[in-house]
Amino acid sequence: MSRAWIAILAAVVLLPMLVRHAIATEIWIFAIFGLGLNLLLGYTGLLSFGQATFFGSAAYVGGYLLKHGGVNVLLVLALGIVVGAVSAAAVGYLCVQRSGLYFIMLTFALNQMFYFTAYQWTSVTGGEDGMPGIPRPAFLGLRLSEPLAYYVFVAACFVIALGIMKRVVESPLGKILQAIRENEVRAQAIGYDARRFKLLAFVIGGAFSGLAGVLYAMLFGIVPLEAIGFVFSGNVVFGTLIGGSGSLYGPVIGAFVFIWLSESVSVIWQRWPLLLGVAFVIVVLFFRGGLVEAWDRLATWWSVRRLRGVAET
Amino acid sequence: MALLRTEDVTKTFGALTAVNRVTLAVEEGTLHSIIGPNGAGKTTLFNLLTGQAPPTSGRILFDGRDITGTPPQRIAHLGIARSFQRTNVFPALSVLDNVWVAVFARSRRRGLGWRPADRYPDLTERALAALGEVGLGDNARRAARELSHGEQRQLELAIALAAAPRLLLLDEPAAGLSPDETRKMVALVRGLKGRYTIVLIEHKMDIIMTISDRVSVMHFGSLIAEGTPAEIQRHAEVRRAYLGGIVAP
Repeated sequence: MSRAWIAILAAVVLLPMLVRHAIATEIWIFAIFGLGLNLLLGYTGLLSFGQATFFGSAAYVGGYLLKHGGVNVLLVLALGIVVGAVSAAAVGYLCVQRSGLYFIMLTFALNQMFYFTAYQWTSVTGGEDGMPGIPRPAFLGLRLSEPLAYYVFVAACFVIALGIMKRVVESPLGKILQAIRENEVRAQAIGYDARRFKLLAFVIGGAFSGLAGVLYAMLFGIVPLEAIGFVFSGNVVFGTLIGGSGSLYGPVIGAFVFIWLSESVSVIWQRWPLLLGVAFVIVVLFFRGGLVEAWDRLATWWSVRRLRGVAET
Repeated sequence: MALLRTEDVTKTFGALTAVNRVTLAVEEGTLHSIIGPNGAGKTTLFNLLTGQAPPTSGRILFDGRDITGTPPQRIAHLGIARSFQRTNVFPALSVLDNVWVAVFARSRRRGLGWRPADRYPDLTERALAALGEVGLGDNARRAARELSHGEQRQLELAIALAAAPRLLLLDEPAAGLSPDETRKMVALVRGLKGRYTIVLIEHKMDIIMTISDRVSVMHFGSLIAEGTPAEIQRHAEVRRAYLGGIVAP
């Protein structure tokens, strides 16, 4: 087992002892959301500003089913993944027709369409008031209504999601997506249909977003309208960039920082987004690879210093 | 039989006719060079052949099959590979991965595959073989962007070779190389001769004349001459095109 996995498992165990269970749970949910985005952003080089479309759609569908159906939790999660993937396929199909700025604006515009649909469709979504009263039914004897039990459930979902994403990015698909990111013209010239692969990245990313969306709805018992709004889409981009889009674990670290800041510091200081802004500016100016890169550089600097110390004595 | 044939292929950009009714036949197993001054339309012709742009009119036949307007990603699977005039690699990927993705593209019958990419020993071996062929075998683990310009030109060629093509289109493989590197590149291309059918775009006459079987000359979008290197060297119109109207003695 690699050091990264040991660190992740240690974090899973330690986190609920350090912060409130709800925050700990939210961190892993946000990390799943970030993993999905980063397949697009980090690996394929596509800045999607509309990931909340898939997150929110799945949250509404999952929430609705749990409220009205009393359905099996695992089935709802599976459905949420499907809703995320299908909505991402529809949105992605339109978006991959364009690139650069137009691509970004399309993801954003389509996100807005979904947002206003949710806003208007009050009979189902509750509009501005959100969709409240979502229960957490028991699952395999695990009483998910207990915060700690739900934390364990979400953490398990995250570990599985991370394992799957690791496999995806290390598979040939991961290499192909990176090749498209690096040089789309050449990737086409050697025989890859770039649009089809971008669409595939959307679908996989959407599936992760969908999973995160349903888990989010279950965590708070409500789907707020913001869950499908562009601020949510922006948050996951910020979190991922702060953590580092160049590595598999970047969005996970980003989720820590982002959720911890928003949930802990916000209690002490209302203007916490300012802190986030400063962090973001520092990252963009000095550490394009996010905290992962900052850490790497620090480690390099430290080992060089130590080696010098050894050489001098 | 001609492996590649173009019939009256034309490409216009507005009022500019970049390629004007080019009819060309490339025989299987030969090295066929296309020469001409800057702006003669050589690279545009390559772009038409590989589907980067559709021709305005005319037909392109590969192995007897009409491939006019086929998009690049399909062209690659037919067995046509090209190298680019301006280095066109995957900068952040390792040198090995640059070639590996090209190998994988052509061996994709079994679908995408769920195994990690480093567990396809046969494909990795083929990628390493392509790197070895161009002399980059020792640089497999470096990032492509760390290579020197000359090495990137070699990598450019390796990516094209990795696709195991039947037809290899080389667009100025020696562009921007030092005399020494140029000699190495020429030796490399010479080594490929016979194993692949090659269409070579080149500026440097001395290279063309020593390695080509056939030479076609382009000038202002049109083919103005075709023949063996010796025939082309004697051709008066070619001398004018190259020497800018000064008639040589």
